[in-house]
Amino acid sequence: MIDRLLDSARRKVDGADALWRREEQTAVAFESGRLKAAGISEEAGLNLRVLSKGRMGVAGTTTAKPDPDALLERARASAELGEIVDLAFPTAAASKLPPIPTYFDRTANASLDDLIALGRMLVERLARPDCQINVAVERAVDETAVGNTAGARGAYRGTGIAVTADITRIAGDDVLMVYDQYVGADMPSDADLEALVRSIETRLSAALTIVTPPDGSLPVVFTPAGLAAVVLPLEQALSGKTVLQGSSPLAGKVGEVMFDDRLSIIDDPLTPGRPASRPVDDECVPSRATGLVERGAVGRFVYDLETAARAKTQSTGNGRRGVFGKPHIGYTNILFRIEDGMHGAHEARHAALPATLGGGLIENMRDGLIVDDLIGVGQGNVISGAFSHPVGLAYRVQRGEVTGRVKDAAVAGNAYDLLKRIGGVGTDGRWLGSRWSPSLLLEGVSVARR
Amino acid sequence: MKDRLATAVKQSRADYTEIRVERTWSSAVAFRGRRLETATVSEDQGGFVRVLNKGCGWGIASFTSLDELPAMVGRANELSHAVRMDEPIRLAETTQQVADAELDLDGDVRGIQLGDKKKLLEAYNSAMLAVSSTIVDTQASYRDEVSEVWYVNSEGAMLYQVRPEVVVSGTAIGRRNGTIEKGLESIGLRKGWRSVQGFEERFRVVAQRAVDLLDAPRVRGGAYPVILDNELAGVFIHEAFGHLSEADFVYENPQAREMMTLGRRFGKPALNAGDNGAAAGLRGTLPFDDEGTPTQDTPLIREGILVGRLHSRETAAKLGERPTGNARAISFRHPPIVRMTNTYIAPGKAGIGFNDLIRDIKLGVYACGAFGGQTMLENFSFTAGWGHMIRNGHVAELVKDVVLAGNLFQTLDRIDHIAGDFTWNQMGGGCGKGGQFPLPVTEGAPHVRIEEALIGGDV
Repeated sequence: MIDRLLDSARRKVDGADALWRREEQTAVAFESGRLKAAGISEEAGLNLRVLSKGRMGVAGTTTAKPDPDALLERARASAELGEIVDLAFPTAAASKLPPIPTYFDRTANASLDDLIALGRMLVERLARPDCQINVAVERAVDETAVGNTAGARGAYRGTGIAVTADITRIAGDDVLMVYDQYVGADMPSDADLEALVRSIETRLSAALTIVTPPDGSLPVVFTPAGLAAVVLPLEQALSGKTVLQGSSPLAGKVGEVMFDDRLSIIDDPLTPGRPASRPVDDECVPSRATGLVERGAVGRFVYDLETAARAKTQSTGNGRRGVFGKPHIGYTNILFRIEDGMHGAHEARHAALPATLGGGLIENMRDGLIVDDLIGVGQGNVISGAFSHPVGLAYRVQRGEVTGRVKDAAVAGNAYDLLKRIGGVGTDGRWLGSRWSPSLLLEGVSVARR
Repeated sequence: MKDRLATAVKQSRADYTEIRVERTWSSAVAFRGRRLETATVSEDQGGFVRVLNKGCGWGIASFTSLDELPAMVGRANELSHAVRMDEPIRLAETTQQVADAELDLDGDVRGIQLGDKKKLLEAYNSAMLAVSSTIVDTQASYRDEVSEVWYVNSEGAMLYQVRPEVVVSGTAIGRRNGTIEKGLESIGLRKGWRSVQGFEERFRVVAQRAVDLLDAPRVRGGAYPVILDNELAGVFIHEAFGHLSEADFVYENPQAREMMTLGRRFGKPALNAGDNGAAAGLRGTLPFDDEGTPTQDTPLIREGILVGRLHSRETAAKLGERPTGNARAISFRHPPIVRMTNTYIAPGKAGIGFNDLIRDIKLGVYACGAFGGQTMLENFSFTAGWGHMIRNGHVAELVKDVVLAGNLFQTLDRIDHIAGDFTWNQMGGGCGKGGQFPLPVTEGAPHVRIEEALIGGDV
């Protein structure tokens, strides 16, 4: 498909690259403990980018048998309005691909009954009186092909499986929701499923007691899930696009120590067993790891081909594209490495979660919070680093013990200030979606209660 | 197309079969700063099949290759049979409709040159950039679509709908030294080209606000009397209350049902709220939902009392109520689930204005505009675009980082005054639920006063 399209493009425009992707998903859903629905989805699409008279244009289609000439014509019409960009497509020689397993037979071959059995096992393990449990199991198998008129080609198959479970407990007007997930390229092991069950059980039982929230400037343990509000501003600021636009607070700070000097953050598309891993990005750039933050200093920003060309630097292999629209910057796997926190991410994959909350960081805490979920993350002025959110799920810590769940409280702070000094690193490092991190103890977080 | 779907439905061996096919023509233009990001035309198309059998659950298939339609009906049937259920899924009765419903295209976007769309957006983008040299970055986007939707089910429904949509939105980023602030404008309409002209001033205003916010202090966290402007009050009723009134939250959950018992008091007698998918000309408006049920105005709160909820055919059957036309899917890639349409707080007495709400507030917050909102059932958060302190009955200094955190029941009960100045706020973006985002919805409200609400921020 791609070869024919690119051959045709070579004759009509200055250069082109394309992505073809086919995805098949199978999903089963348990609602309130009962298997309720099973579904499949099949989707294939083709995305083309052209350079015509120095200008860039794009077009995409989900048509089953796309007409290459029609697609090319639309891309060329788009380029007529497009900006001038000095884009250099990677050549065949530059695109030798690193080996990385992305396709797992066990995942691809799992039958509908296997997926149902997996969900049913979780429903049974997690069932308890007065609680509603929903479980979803989703398996994806995909094929990707990328290529360009400079001769580079890349193709790979991938698998992914996501198992999510949530428990809702309503008592009077109190609504408690506890949620967790396993996401991987390979099927979950027994230990992975055990970790999922224990994670939900631990957080649920500690939440049954409701206590008054504390008030003031306090130490807060952000769990790997709770860290989202702190991580999001950094993800935005480390994008080459934001830097190019002049809106990144980290622009011009490469090499400067902006964070606790034990903190490193890596984007690594070559992490084994992760669904976001791949040998090549969606613009034919071979995958490699990028040090975003290195021992507290700003490392490298991530770029795709276009932003790299405009910033006069190299793509970091973070190009991502859908069927419609032009390629954009996307992170792959983000890993937090903190020096005195032991553990590389790789060996942590099968580690069961500890049955206690707080990742071992609360022993010496006189009064503070464990924040596992905040409401409204991503709203507001994210790029500035400032955040202020009511708690979705948070626990009070008093004299080194979790005393119960707090409600009607809001936490606020600035990610840049808080990450200047990390008070402690948890022993509970884990994957959450495509991010690996332990819990972090951060000090001086504003906590307001009603 | 209708015949093709009718044939496929007839050949289905399932007890109930529905097929939805969509063909969407869309174009998009985007600027970032002074630079054009994209200008493209896209065509997306695909189908969705959902079947049900006695003693079995839903079997679902979605696909981009329409040639596969008969095979996909068969696959969905197999999937349904794999889902064994003790308690059968029932669907509430609706009058099955045969209709063609083409909404007013108001200047068919398919007939406008891409270059003209670029010019329009460039004008709005330039209006933001021209405000000040401290506007260091902008994002502006124009998107339109015309979606044709065919729907046929085995109970006799046969519908063809044409749904237009057009959205222009802009973000202006102001920066001075380390301080970064933004202003946001977004206009989303179920209309066409003619309806998005002449908005330069609105884009200029948000860029000016981003500049003004650079010098504004952060609001001090704590509990205050709060007045919500029309836009934020609309986001509030959608986020904080609307999601709880979606019946899929309660229909399988006895405790939730108890919490949301019809007849329960939710607020003071001044409070009236509802959801109206049949309102004329709004972004959340549709003649029929994605199960073929006609849309309607559904009262949810009347004089402070819970009186209704939003249904699909499945949730209505389970609760012994009537479908309300709220089963919606964002595209053929998804099943219909219970969603809002145009959700509103009804206006208070005519003549009650903003001044009547603010007059006796010594120290409070006037929260305006919305960057977004999220609910976690009884708890919600919404982020105002900006705010002003209220001092001694008057609007005082501009403040930033105004985030309202709250508990639904307490907050609804603390709404003590509702003005008569109702407006619909037709924004772009949309609502997200169950992985389906963005669904076009509208929110409407007058100015609303909350006796006391928690504002997050520095303490």
